[in-house]
Amino acid sequence: MRPFIALLAATALAPVTALAQEAYRVGLSGALTGPAAGSYAPAIEGLQLYIERLNAAGGIDGRPVELIVLDDTGEPSRGATNSRRLLGQERVSLMINASLSSTFAPMIADAQRAGVPLLFASSACPAEVYPPAQPLLYCSTAFAARYDSRATLDFVQEQAGTDIDLGLVAMAIPLSRGEIEAAEGLARERGMRPQAPTIVPPPTADYTPFATSIQQAGADWVYAWAPWVTQVRTVEALRRLGWEGNYIAWGHIEAEGELARLRDANLYAIGANSLFSENLPVHQDIRAAAAGSTYPADQMAEGWIAGMVVEAALRAAGWPADGAAVNAAMQGLNVDTQGLRGGPIQFTADNHFRATQYYRVYRWNGEAVEVVRDWQAYSVE
Amino acid sequence: MYKRLVPIALAVCGLVALPIWASTSAMDIANQILLASIGAIALMLLTGFAGQISLGHAGLLAAGAFTAGILAREVGAPFWVGIPAAGATGAMLGLIFGLPSLRLRGIYLAVSTLALHFVVIYLGGEYETRRGFSTGILIDPPLVFGRELWDPRDWYPLLLVCAGLTWLGARNLLRARTGRSWAAIHDTEPVAAALGIHVARAKLTAFVISSTITAMAGALFAYYRGFVSIEAFSLFVTIQYVAMIIIGGMGTLIGAVLGAAFVTILPHAIEWGTSLLPTSRALAGSIFAINYAAFGVIMIAFLALEPGGLVGIARRLRGLIRGRG
Amino acid sequence: MQLIVNIVVLTSIYALVSCGYVLIYRVSRVLNLAHGELMMVGAYLLLVTAGYVTNPMVAIPLAAILSLTMGALVYLLLMRRMTGESVLAAILTTIALGILLRGLIVIFFSAAHQYPSVPLGLHSSSIQILPGARISTLSLVLVLVTAAVYGSLFAALRLSRWGLRMRAAGQNPLLAAQRGINLHFIYALVWGIAMFTGSVAGMLISLDAGLDQTLVLIGLKAFPAALVGGLDSLLGALVGSLIVAAAEVLLIQYVNPLLADVVPFLILIAMLVLRPWGLFGTREALDRV
Repeated sequence: MRPFIALLAATALAPVTALAQEAYRVGLSGALTGPAAGSYAPAIEGLQLYIERLNAAGGIDGRPVELIVLDDTGEPSRGATNSRRLLGQERVSLMINASLSSTFAPMIADAQRAGVPLLFASSACPAEVYPPAQPLLYCSTAFAARYDSRATLDFVQEQAGTDIDLGLVAMAIPLSRGEIEAAEGLARERGMRPQAPTIVPPPTADYTPFATSIQQAGADWVYAWAPWVTQVRTVEALRRLGWEGNYIAWGHIEAEGELARLRDANLYAIGANSLFSENLPVHQDIRAAAAGSTYPADQMAEGWIAGMVVEAALRAAGWPADGAAVNAAMQGLNVDTQGLRGGPIQFTADNHFRATQYYRVYRWNGEAVEVVRDWQAYSVE
Repeated sequence: MYKRLVPIALAVCGLVALPIWASTSAMDIANQILLASIGAIALMLLTGFAGQISLGHAGLLAAGAFTAGILAREVGAPFWVGIPAAGATGAMLGLIFGLPSLRLRGIYLAVSTLALHFVVIYLGGEYETRRGFSTGILIDPPLVFGRELWDPRDWYPLLLVCAGLTWLGARNLLRARTGRSWAAIHDTEPVAAALGIHVARAKLTAFVISSTITAMAGALFAYYRGFVSIEAFSLFVTIQYVAMIIIGGMGTLIGAVLGAAFVTILPHAIEWGTSLLPTSRALAGSIFAINYAAFGVIMIAFLALEPGGLVGIARRLRGLIRGRG
Repeated sequence: MQLIVNIVVLTSIYALVSCGYVLIYRVSRVLNLAHGELMMVGAYLLLVTAGYVTNPMVAIPLAAILSLTMGALVYLLLMRRMTGESVLAAILTTIALGILLRGLIVIFFSAAHQYPSVPLGLHSSSIQILPGARISTLSLVLVLVTAAVYGSLFAALRLSRWGLRMRAAGQNPLLAAQRGINLHFIYALVWGIAMFTGSVAGMLISLDAGLDQTLVLIGLKAFPAALVGGLDSLLGALVGSLIVAAAEVLLIQYVNPLLADVVPFLILIAMLVLRPWGLFGTREALDRV
């Protein structure tokens, strides 16, 4: 008798729970922990803070956004497991990847199978998002293969002309190598004298031998496009060898803090995100939201931008938002970054990267990090 | 005799009926356990039975996975070609990995297999870069009997059969002459030689057979995940497999399976356990490290306190239940 | 010229790390594959002491003494249980210990890049040591420390009473024990010294270049150096380090920087094929009877 009553009670309660508010469901698989976490976890936290703030303000038309975050520790097999779970069990209408490029392939395949859009936020943009873009794949991350090198070489050319010896530094991971090898070709086309790229294996005891080979080949300028640790260790080694040339590196999330630590007037960082030291209203918002967070506020820009893209996409998709609706919405998206980037992020049916990419160059001028060259626009074809 | 059959029959029924009531992620874990069991049985044959230390297991898995991936990508080879091809690669590598064992023992053998692992990983990375597969090699889901295998539920029967075949094959091998010669060379090589057992041949056979199975397991992994990339085959993976055979119980086949299940489930159990604690996002950031530390502690505990592994514990419990009285 | 200086610095790094492998193997016949992690723990200990004491002259020796104690504790609490067990079990215990330490470090310190030199107020500058060759001050200190460590180890093992006992324990533990040498004490001592030298290497490297998990991989790369020279020979460790360091630097300069990672292991394989006990090691019973 008693079990029967319990069953009756349970079925009576069921409709009550069904009345709970329906939410937009977004899934994320990222490197929250693991060796690569330092580059991705801050952005993930930034996104989480953005969504929390959005929900506290009432969500989208009164509906909350539920963000499901799964850790893949940077490992491809975990990325695959996560994407299957997000798509199969959690039934998200938008999936986000914030992890190493090795996790891309399985997530892309799963997303395309399920017809759910996949946004790359804080991970390097895969080739598939550039025009002509493949369906369902979008990218809001700052760095851009080929365009980064073009912009850097433009800057170097502005500063020093083309009659220079150019050192090139990459880490021994396919993405970095590929970019620097392409840069070598571009530099040669312009009439510069690029050295053969110096490819540094990740876990190196001593960067001096690599710096030595760059210095001995007589570089005036050195361009590095690699994870921050490779970029910074190489320039430190070069300085220890007494090299006084100019070093330009990609401005990762650590760049702002590190430029201040290194105090090197000939070290330039080129990037697509603005500086927190400018203290724009959006920077203040991020700082306020990040009070008491694990990671410093000035490393959260990518996550905040991803949050902006997610909000805009869900708003435009309306309710109910399934994968197809969100995808359709994203194809015409125009997101105002409020100053975090040089301009808006615009997607079109053909271009899932952005219509225009903006770059700035910074360096330490003795007292603070200053802007050496303001936003330069490159239209993406 | 019937006493033994009943639990086995129940176990088989339970295994076959699993897809009916288990969730997708539970099925995924079950599949991972089956895949890991195949690799663990292979390592158990080599280290647990034939007594040859090998720290190159991840390199062999990688070789099998890359063979399947390369053939699928470059030549469009189907599933039925990829797996045996991976096995062939495994056999060849097994020969190379096994050659040092003819001259070296103990730590030197361990170190030589370790060095070979690094070389294989380096070659895999170079292939990925040279061929432009910077984000790994994508493999289409295999077509088995006209059905595309993608959902974990689809994979389960195939993997169950593969694991079962590996088990039966291993068991028969151990009962046959090869297995007996392995038992002989395990501890007492000189005696084995004196008894007329061709020690070199037994050692190389152990390496070749073990590596063939391992490479095929690697290929299965590749098809299951749908892609291959070198980051998935680190030294930690080797350590995990070695842990499987130790935690399970060295020198037993069931130990390989138990150990595979234990090591596969452990990170999920830890994640579930930490989710029960009242935590903030801060602890979530340490899950990876907690997994690592817990893995180390458990391995040390088994090595120092219960070298017989889970099988040893089971035996002791059985002895306690039966014996005292 | 610069190349020679680079080779000397890298040799010193590898030599200081590999003498830990050699000491433990020579005296207690255990291959300690957790040496890289122990080295990293020592460097993190410096981070801890630097948090309390900003005078480097106090913080560094304090951290060094702590690591000596910790090394002895590792033996007394863990490795002592593994004496007499199989080779595989002993190696795996050290590997498991390494994994445990890695996890604990990330739990307590996070995976972020740390800079112990900042609280200590140490800044590495570069000085011209020879015409056409520069070296950083911390690298110079490292070279001198390595020389001092090796000098004192050679002297201690040959001349002092404890050194004699250590060598005896390494050559024939049973006989040594029967002659009244306290084996556990000797083993604890040598584990302490090994962790001490490894930690000093880790500390100096992290003062120069920062501290994070990749320090462990330096320990792993120094291992072929120890093996090439002979796992039970200190002189071998020096020579092995020189060979591996020279190969790495010259390959980076003249051939292909990527080989730097895999070449130590290729050298290792070559040695194992030709002469497994290394250049200066004692020939062990490796073949069948």
